Amino acid sequence: MRPKVRPGLAVGAILLLVGTTATAHRLDEYLQGTLISIEKNRLQVQITLTPGVAVFPFLLGDMDADADGVISETEQSAYASRVLRDLSLTMDGRPLTPQLISRQFPTIEEMKEGRGEIRIEFSAVLPSGGPSRKLIFENHHQSRIAAYQVNCLVPRDPNIRIVAQNRNYSQSLYQLEYSQADVDLGSPILAWWSSDRVSLGMVALLLLARLALLWRQRFRTVAELQ
Amino acid sequence: MRLTHRIAIVVSFSLSAAMAQTATSQIVKAANTFLSTLDQKQRHGVLFAFDDEQQRARWSNFPTGFVPRGGISLKEMTPAQRSAAMALVSSALSPRGLEKVQQIMEGDEVLKHTEGNGPPFGGGPPPGAGGPPNGGAGRGRPPFANGGDGQMFGKDLYYISILGTPSEKNPWMLQFGGHHLALNITIDGERGILTPTLTGAQPALYTLNGKTVRPLGPESDKAMALLNALDESQRKQAILNYRVADLVLGPGQDGKIIQPEGLKASAMSDKQRVMLLDVISEWTGIIHESAAAARLAEIKTDIDKTWFAWSGATTVAPGKNIVAYYRIQGPHLVIEYAPQGLGGDPSMHVHTMYRDPTNDYGRKPGAK
Repeated sequence: MRPKVRPGLAVGAILLLVGTTATAHRLDEYLQGTLISIEKNRLQVQITLTPGVAVFPFLLGDMDADADGVISETEQSAYASRVLRDLSLTMDGRPLTPQLISRQFPTIEEMKEGRGEIRIEFSAVLPSGGPSRKLIFENHHQSRIAAYQVNCLVPRDPNIRIVAQNRNYSQSLYQLEYSQADVDLGSPILAWWSSDRVSLGMVALLLLARLALLWRQRFRTVAELQ
Repeated sequence: MRLTHRIAIVVSFSLSAAMAQTATSQIVKAANTFLSTLDQKQRHGVLFAFDDEQQRARWSNFPTGFVPRGGISLKEMTPAQRSAAMALVSSALSPRGLEKVQQIMEGDEVLKHTEGNGPPFGGGPPPGAGGPPNGGAGRGRPPFANGGDGQMFGKDLYYISILGTPSEKNPWMLQFGGHHLALNITIDGERGILTPTLTGAQPALYTLNGKTVRPLGPESDKAMALLNALDESQRKQAILNYRVADLVLGPGQDGKIIQPEGLKASAMSDKQRVMLLDVISEWTGIIHESAAAARLAEIKTDIDKTWFAWSGATTVAPGKNIVAYYRIQGPHLVIEYAPQGLGGDPSMHVHTMYRDPTNDYGRKPGAK
């Protein structure tokens, strides 16, 4: 069994051990580059994870659970699932369920040297919505050592147009707004109740309820005074 | 239009065509001369099929001991063969392009002496070390096979390969690269395509024969000058509010087009657009002059649809490289400049990427 060591305390020591040659390779960060491809009814995501030389010893225990020096198929699946669990995706406020498409793992030796890339691909079915859509993607995988990058590919579907991309400084939080021209909303009633209008309707209902409450209280007060 | 103008235009076009043909014929001649210096085994090592996708993608920013390249290295050649190989590379590049390549290679020689040259982490070849990433195996060497001595860095660890048959009419490719260098040059008749190409430098500033060398210095200086030429409102658009740690479309990301961000050149002044083109010319100008001129003309046509984005420090110490990532992206262009924060001074270790996602490896017929 591997000893549990806190990465923050031990990275410095590892940096001294790996020597100067390691400056050619990623060291004390876990680079996680995400590319998102938006389609009409689904999205497809590719995450490329590159462990730095100094942090890999602390990640290895999560990948090679039985510590036999090989990341087996089962261990690869388990780690990919763990990465997916550390992600959060919502479309128009509704959570999405990522489905693993593929995973590729380099050898442990390649990762020890800082040149190994894990590649995970997944997709998610998108719920139907209105012509203006908002995707929120959050990555919390190994946040203490992560260097996140996230971008959207130019949509192949000409009906989809990216409107805005917003991120926090670390890129752990990414918000994508896009428009979709060929939305099939079914009946006119459903069309009216598209996602934006649902939100507006909810706000209007809450305001009405609040007004009713205030009016009732005022009515009571007047009645008591009389 | 006056007759003299027409004649001048016709003559100009004819001269350009003649120059392009001259460039291609010179490259083909240099390629055949190089091949004639090789023995049968070496020729087999250098030549690949034009459509060999594995060999096309067998390039990297990593040292060749980590990610093996196809072809044969300068180290494996006799002095005459090495001279013929470099003459071939030289024939495909501009003088400034060749100088940049030589400075990148010299930088690796400096690294060899400053960082040591054995396999990293004190060991020999790692047990079970496989081929290149993404499953590429084929005729790529196993890691740590650079002459069997575990050499990691040095100006002789650069590999040359030829995909297809050198021809003035039919397409073929010349690849030359190693640590921090990947030139993928497709020659298709008069056309010369340099994408995808990776340049990098470590150290990105060094002294050679008493002279300070910055292989990617102009890429840093010209971009900094452009940023400084923007007004406050333009800077707000150009400067991203998030950190970019590395290349987004580096090795292994062929053909991908990301949503552009930053400041669109249509919102720049004429002078600023000229400065942007000048930054771009540091990559387009690596290839020989006629191909570079055609490529820059194509990019100039797209310039209003080209974006400039910056992330990182907005000042630089005199004579040093920027510590900022920048990206230039147009309909047929992606350029990324990414300092590497790998435990040292990021300004001393830089990776850059130059792509045409619509025409990498010259895939688009009739493109420039």
